[in-house]
Amino acid sequence: MFAKIGLAITFSPTGKALLKETVRLQHLFNSQVVLIHIGERNKESEELLVQTIKSAGVDADKYEVIWTEGDPASAIINSAKDAKVDLLVAGALEKEKMLKFFFGSVARKIMREFPASSLILKSPSVEPINFKKFFVSVDYSPRCERTIRTAFQFALKDNAEEFTVIRDFYMPGLTAALGEDKSIDELKSLIYQLKKEEEEKMKLFVQELDLKGLDVNIVCVYGKEGFEDSNYARNNDADIFAVTGPEQKMRFFDRFFQHDIEYSFEKLPSNLLIVR
Amino acid sequence: MQLSNDQVIIFLLSISVMLFSAKMLGEIFTKLKQPAIIGEILAGVILGPTILGMLSPGTFEFLFPKNSEVNVAIDGITNIAVVLLLLVSGLEVDLAIVFRHRKTALSISVIGIIIPFVLGFCIAYLFPGLLGLVESQDRVVFALFIGTAIAISSLPVIAKILMDLKIFKSLIGSIIIASAMLNDLIGWIIFSVILGLIGANTHGFSFSETLLYTLSFIAFLLMVGRKLISKSISVIQEKLTFPGTVINFILILGFLGAAFTEYLGVHAILGAFMVGIAIGDSIHLKERTREILHQFITNIFAPLFFVSIGMKANFITNFNLGIVVVLLALAFIGKVAGCSIGARLGGLNKNESLAVGAGMSSSGAMGIIIGLIALQFGLINEEVFVGLVIMALITSIFSAPLMTYFLKEKEKTKFRNLVKEEFVILSNETEKRKVLSRLADVASKELKIEKAVILNAVLAREDILPTGIANYLAVPHAKIKIKHPFLSVAINKGGIDFEAADGTLSKIIVLLLTPENNNELQLQLLADIVAKFKDKEQVENLLAFNKHNEICEGLKKLV
Repeated sequence: MFAKIGLAITFSPTGKALLKETVRLQHLFNSQVVLIHIGERNKESEELLVQTIKSAGVDADKYEVIWTEGDPASAIINSAKDAKVDLLVAGALEKEKMLKFFFGSVARKIMREFPASSLILKSPSVEPINFKKFFVSVDYSPRCERTIRTAFQFALKDNAEEFTVIRDFYMPGLTAALGEDKSIDELKSLIYQLKKEEEEKMKLFVQELDLKGLDVNIVCVYGKEGFEDSNYARNNDADIFAVTGPEQKMRFFDRFFQHDIEYSFEKLPSNLLIVR
Repeated sequence: MQLSNDQVIIFLLSISVMLFSAKMLGEIFTKLKQPAIIGEILAGVILGPTILGMLSPGTFEFLFPKNSEVNVAIDGITNIAVVLLLLVSGLEVDLAIVFRHRKTALSISVIGIIIPFVLGFCIAYLFPGLLGLVESQDRVVFALFIGTAIAISSLPVIAKILMDLKIFKSLIGSIIIASAMLNDLIGWIIFSVILGLIGANTHGFSFSETLLYTLSFIAFLLMVGRKLISKSISVIQEKLTFPGTVINFILILGFLGAAFTEYLGVHAILGAFMVGIAIGDSIHLKERTREILHQFITNIFAPLFFVSIGMKANFITNFNLGIVVVLLALAFIGKVAGCSIGARLGGLNKNESLAVGAGMSSSGAMGIIIGLIALQFGLINEEVFVGLVIMALITSIFSAPLMTYFLKEKEKTKFRNLVKEEFVILSNETEKRKVLSRLADVASKELKIEKAVILNAVLAREDILPTGIANYLAVPHAKIKIKHPFLSVAINKGGIDFEAADGTLSKIIVLLLTPENNNELQLQLLADIVAKFKDKEQVENLLAFNKHNEICEGLKKLV
């Protein structure tokens, strides 16, 4: 599924934990690991690197190291792209700081710009365990279909216990009709009716996907698109929240007119799997 | 200075009379399926100089004394009402949906503003007498103002129409809503610039200063302000009483924003509207808070405001048919043409574009508010004001039927609209493949696609998971290269096994073909079909029919 897993290697405690998590995934998917080192290459750093890799238990014949320098975010993204990494692992703080919102942190840049899939871990551990609860955001697009299948395969391999697909929908401007003689009851009944319709669609959608091996729970919520589903995952203690990555590289404008997955990027609901 | 005991009594009395008559007439109009705002303004016309003032000047003077503090107090309340109306109007603007439909929405709203604006400006500038320009007034400012009044759309009216037509959640519905939001945003900014241009402020800012401060204020609110506001709402909700303190907080911000823009000389409404947008963007703002705000503003402040509009002028002596006709013609022609051209350039088809134009043609409360401010600034006389109010009302009444007319090409997302007699066949096959082949035959002839292509796609899908549903229904389906969905139906009373969940043999087989790459449309139609066949008794009644036409009628009537 993921033939090459990439990680920017650092020697901090979090860096070591991330490496451990990556090794777990390597064993899970039987993949090659691409370790990207940003910074000067000298004897000291080489030794430290070999030692770190060894102690983390990376399969000896299944890894490669890329040495690079420069702006961390771009260096990681470009090296991973060149090495054809199909899952880039990174760690991130739960919330993006206000100032960073305008300049962007390394992890957020990866989420927004890396052209293949990425897995953003909120609190990596040196003793990683499997992910038990998977939540996937659904929008019925063919690309989203791929996200569900990928997440489902992941869940099966990882022996997950719960797999939930969430659809959030919203009708902006609907409340404005209250200013024109519509009653709250009429509004509520419209939303209720649409929610039922949405649930029916979700059932059919999941049925079409024909996923076998794990029960699929279906959830529909009304509220801001992109926020409500991630919020639902957060409140239900998801281990992984999977979203479909944006088709194009996201730009500053996307943050300005905040929409859909930007909410999950800005405040991680759980570990985030971005499928592209 | 304070109100005397007697004045307090009169003040309270006038407010109750205004509220009572507004609500009563508003309700009557709602029952007649017309906008309540007409009733509310009519209440003002009855209570104001037009009727009460003519019939019983004594009572009129007693209730609404002209040169008294009571009048100032009422004026204060209507000022608050306008600010609140704009605040909730802003709350509904959702930048994300505007961004999602940016290409079409931008095209619709920008061209939909430019054309009526230019039309209004030219007519008012070239033939000022036609619209009652007073000699001493500045012709350019007057023309600019008429242009704006014509160009603005009313989001609430549009939202209501979309709800009534049940197209709120459709693509065209959300494009219209996004365009209306953008129209409001651009419209109010233009209007504020005009107010800045005429030097409405008294705080010594030059025009460029006013413009700079106003734009900085908007940029600050939308970039940093909305984040801070969202954070504050979240903290207030967690730590303080909900929803009371949140509502309080929203009102305080609205008034502060309004005060600031009023200080800049671009009128309080712009500040209230922009603050509303920043607040509405918050993910922490709960639907309940929105609803409560809407409820109390729509039921208390809006009626008071519209009654006061009706009372502002004598609607009989100031009624000038010429002005009303010119304004109406400008509004309808400019707006429908502008928005339709915009929609067409934005990629919609002809009928959809005309429907967008019709929907956007209502100026509603927003047009009236612009009229009132212009009257206050002496930009227009009472005749034009009356004309603008009538224009706003008439456009609000007619935009719904006009839109329905253009949307007569039914949305092809419902089973009922897709069932056609010529695509329904009666068969007595015993094999799944044979009945599918006959259905594919019907589809192939209509869609001009090779039968094998259709049949193979359907069979491939059938292989993954049989499509028997329940209640004698099976919906074999596939996504193929077509533009619009298609369905054909076979009534096969002998029944065929499609492995339905309830174990019944399928007697009604609906072949559904939808465009490739549109999962959602397929799901929507599947869901609609399944819902139509939920009631087993209804389905059995349908199967009791023998004649082709009876069955077709029965299929369309399934609820």
